[in-house]
Amino acid sequence: MNLLSVLVFSPLVAGLIVLVLPASLQSRYKYVALAATILQVLLSVLVWVRFNPSLGGVNNEHTLQFAEKLSWIQLNVGGDSRLQIDYFLAIDGLSMPFLLLTSLVMFVAVLSSWEITTNLKGYFALFMLLDTAVMGVFTAMDFFLFYLFYELMLLPIYFLIGMWGGVKREYAAIKFFLYTLFGSVFMLLIMVGLYFSVQDPLTGDHTFNMVHMMNPANYVDGSLFAKFSGQLLLGIPARSLAFIVLFVAFAIKVPIVPLHTWLPDAHVEAPTPVSIVLAGILLKVGGYGVIRICYSIFPEAALGYAWWIGLIGVVSIIYGALNALAQRDLKRLVAYSSVSHMGFVLLGIASVTAEGISGAMMQMISHGFLSVMLFFLVGVIYTRVHDREIANFRGLSQLMPQYTFFIMVAFFASLGLPGFSAFIAEAFSLTGAFKSAGVNGLIPRWMALGGSVGILLSAAYLLWTLQRMFFGQLRLSGGEPWRLLLTDVTIREKIALVPLAAMALLLGILPGVVFTQINTSVLDLVKLVNP
Amino acid sequence: MNALITISVLAVLVLYLGLYKANKALLPVTLLGLAVALFFTINHWNVFTGPTFNDMMSYDNFAVAFSGITITSTMLILLLSKGYFEKISDHVAEYYSIILFSLAGILVMVSYHNMTMLFIGIEIMSVSLYILAGIRKQDFASNEAALKYFLMGAFSTGFLLFGVALIYGAAHSFDLEAIKMHLETNLQTGQAISPLFYTGVVLMAVGMAFKVGAAPFHFWTPDVYEGSPSLITAFMSTVVKTAGFAAFLRLFATCFYPLHDFWMPVILVITIITLFAGNITALYQNNFKRMLAWSSISHAGYMLFAIVSLGSEASYGVFVYAIAYSAASIIAFAGLVLMQANTGSDSFDSFNGLGRKNPFLAFTLTVAMLSLAGIPLTAGFIGKFIMFSNALSSMHTWLVVLAVINAVISIFYYFRVIVAMYFKDAERAELEIPLNFKVVLAISVVATILIGIWPAFLPNVI
Repeated sequence: MNLLSVLVFSPLVAGLIVLVLPASLQSRYKYVALAATILQVLLSVLVWVRFNPSLGGVNNEHTLQFAEKLSWIQLNVGGDSRLQIDYFLAIDGLSMPFLLLTSLVMFVAVLSSWEITTNLKGYFALFMLLDTAVMGVFTAMDFFLFYLFYELMLLPIYFLIGMWGGVKREYAAIKFFLYTLFGSVFMLLIMVGLYFSVQDPLTGDHTFNMVHMMNPANYVDGSLFAKFSGQLLLGIPARSLAFIVLFVAFAIKVPIVPLHTWLPDAHVEAPTPVSIVLAGILLKVGGYGVIRICYSIFPEAALGYAWWIGLIGVVSIIYGALNALAQRDLKRLVAYSSVSHMGFVLLGIASVTAEGISGAMMQMISHGFLSVMLFFLVGVIYTRVHDREIANFRGLSQLMPQYTFFIMVAFFASLGLPGFSAFIAEAFSLTGAFKSAGVNGLIPRWMALGGSVGILLSAAYLLWTLQRMFFGQLRLSGGEPWRLLLTDVTIREKIALVPLAAMALLLGILPGVVFTQINTSVLDLVKLVNP
Repeated sequence: MNALITISVLAVLVLYLGLYKANKALLPVTLLGLAVALFFTINHWNVFTGPTFNDMMSYDNFAVAFSGITITSTMLILLLSKGYFEKISDHVAEYYSIILFSLAGILVMVSYHNMTMLFIGIEIMSVSLYILAGIRKQDFASNEAALKYFLMGAFSTGFLLFGVALIYGAAHSFDLEAIKMHLETNLQTGQAISPLFYTGVVLMAVGMAFKVGAAPFHFWTPDVYEGSPSLITAFMSTVVKTAGFAAFLRLFATCFYPLHDFWMPVILVITIITLFAGNITALYQNNFKRMLAWSSISHAGYMLFAIVSLGSEASYGVFVYAIAYSAASIIAFAGLVLMQANTGSDSFDSFNGLGRKNPFLAFTLTVAMLSLAGIPLTAGFIGKFIMFSNALSSMHTWLVVLAVINAVISIFYYFRVIVAMYFKDAERAELEIPLNFKVVLAISVVATILIGIWPAFLPNVI
């Protein structure tokens, strides 16, 4: 059995164990989940160590690593056509870092699930199912398989928000579900179109293999998505339309302005662990999809729309930051800061330079750790007093000194203080954006400038919040009862927070840890997109 | 062939059992007989040599596949009926035998090779259904359903028969193969095809659209489905609908295929109206049974895809879709019957809090709703996937885009059940689920998920 398969399906096994354990053991379910995530962290560290950074992957099947390919669905559907769908898992530099990110985030999310008290069996089973789906998305190399895992992520999140969420949970859950589904059903159509256009060079069957889709030579002459067939679809060149549809599907997940409105609602209503997973991993699925599918399969369309993608990135950065500035709910503030920070990912990708794409990858990983830390910290307050209005707290640093320390680390790291991962990530994305005008002329310099303004704004909203909530005289709207409830961070919370802070610091000081692993793949991707 | 005889004899036998007051033996005997019929059907697979009975019937793989689905679905529905008909009336044996007669008609409908047989099959099925719809003699809604169904059904049969007559006038034959030959030779030699023929095709399309409940000929569906006893509704919306599509597909895929360019736009328009009418109206229902009725109209729209984009995969598409749809509907109706029996209501609110009290039933209903909505890893997704890829490969891009929008709309109303079961709390008593329900639910759920994960499990039998 392949290492990736174990990584993908071990949580599922844990979920099934939770399901069959009797209800009398329900206080133990969380330990099963915890064990599964610890195992996953160990496995992904093993993958990290055994990963060979000199192999690029991307559009070359021979340099993909840990590959496992089994024939899965081979349907003879009458006539000469045969449905060829493979169970094809593999990774390259573009997906490998996400495995470690996912397993760490899941570990933290399970630790923060201690606050969940109702219907534990359902909760942990769904959580483990979600874990499997996310791991599957990052490792699948067959479009059909990718799509299945992508859709499989939706249901657990839907139930997790809907059953364990806040007051308006029903609305938030269905909004999240419909937004994402709306993007992905159209993705399904493009996927089928690609399937009819691409042939496996060995067997001659149509195939869903993504690597084959990236090679223009595998397209059937004159087919819908063949590069030079010039087919129109609904009046637009087919390949451009396909790129737009796929981009929108993933951009909803990222999310971009103006398709971001599900995010604040989902975050506010979701319980802390779900917020953690949403911010830490699911947003990255969007960015990963843009790189892996939109850019790799439709490179020329990507170049054509680079200006627009850059613009969307800048608008998201600034609009998200301005919105964060105006929020009164701490969790909403963090949610909007996510929108802002994910804008850098798009800006970096749009530049199609090695710096920009490395920066985007780094930003996704860094934001993965930092947003998880932020949401976890918000959850700490919320579980204690069930309130997170910024105005209701003041001078918390006197009451919770250790908590304030972690908040300061998270805030300063997020606003791009040198020495932390976000600084490296944003600096690289912006460098790429600056450089692009001179190298390939894809995005103008003012977009990079706009991105820098975003950093400034993020300093404004984070520092202002710090000032309002943590400094000054201790004043709580809940009075004495709150003062007793607001105890400092516990050991369990520290176990979750310390690795996150350590990762942010480590990646800030030694960014090479990530960069060396992804460099070959990033260069290959740049070469593929802009030869 | 043997299956048809078995079922007909079985129906008479069941009547005699009723006569001798052997009410306990009714269900086992019926199920046993259907199992034998199923065995004969499967045994017939891949031994097709040509039409039989003076070219009246043709038991090809298509017939085998659809007979298989309809017999299996009937068995599952009858398994749910233990103790159900007894509550309605004393004449239990009659119901079993009427359902069996209807099934015999269905078997003729899926295997005809001559338009007279199509007519006879549809009539045997329909007349039985008129009685079944009005089975609750004292109930006003049931009477209304029966009358409505009868009037509408008579109309549609009239259209169908008129179409058959006109086509006979043009092609001088009732035989599918002969009609097709007539079309092909005329098209090849450039001879004009009689206008009678075109009119006949349209009339037959209208008649068939009536029978499968496609818009704008769908108005009888919600009322009839709502008024009939729930198990009869289950039978109508799964078995009868599947049979209707099999007959529709056989007629248009084999016989009228050469005139594809002529009738395709007609069916295309019907498909689009059906999708929107079914889905949008279903959104506004507050009652589970009526929602299922409207959703069954929208599913008719998806199945019409196969006829719009006739390709090599059309029959296979309908085959998979029909299985997925039947399995999910049977679960939904089983849930409905349980809910009605226990709470006397079937509004969405009566499902509140079911997730906590009856986790198994709630889980199976969730799987059914997800499958009907076409969410991946359920059979419904595979069905829609095959339908959509079929339509895309024949370049009906707009149709697929509209269908996808409809699929998203349908999420709203299917998820209302899930929302009620899991997200809304209510004080309620646990529903009692008899063993036979558990068995049917388990079989259907396993089939739904198995086909969703591993579609190759369903071999391409056609």
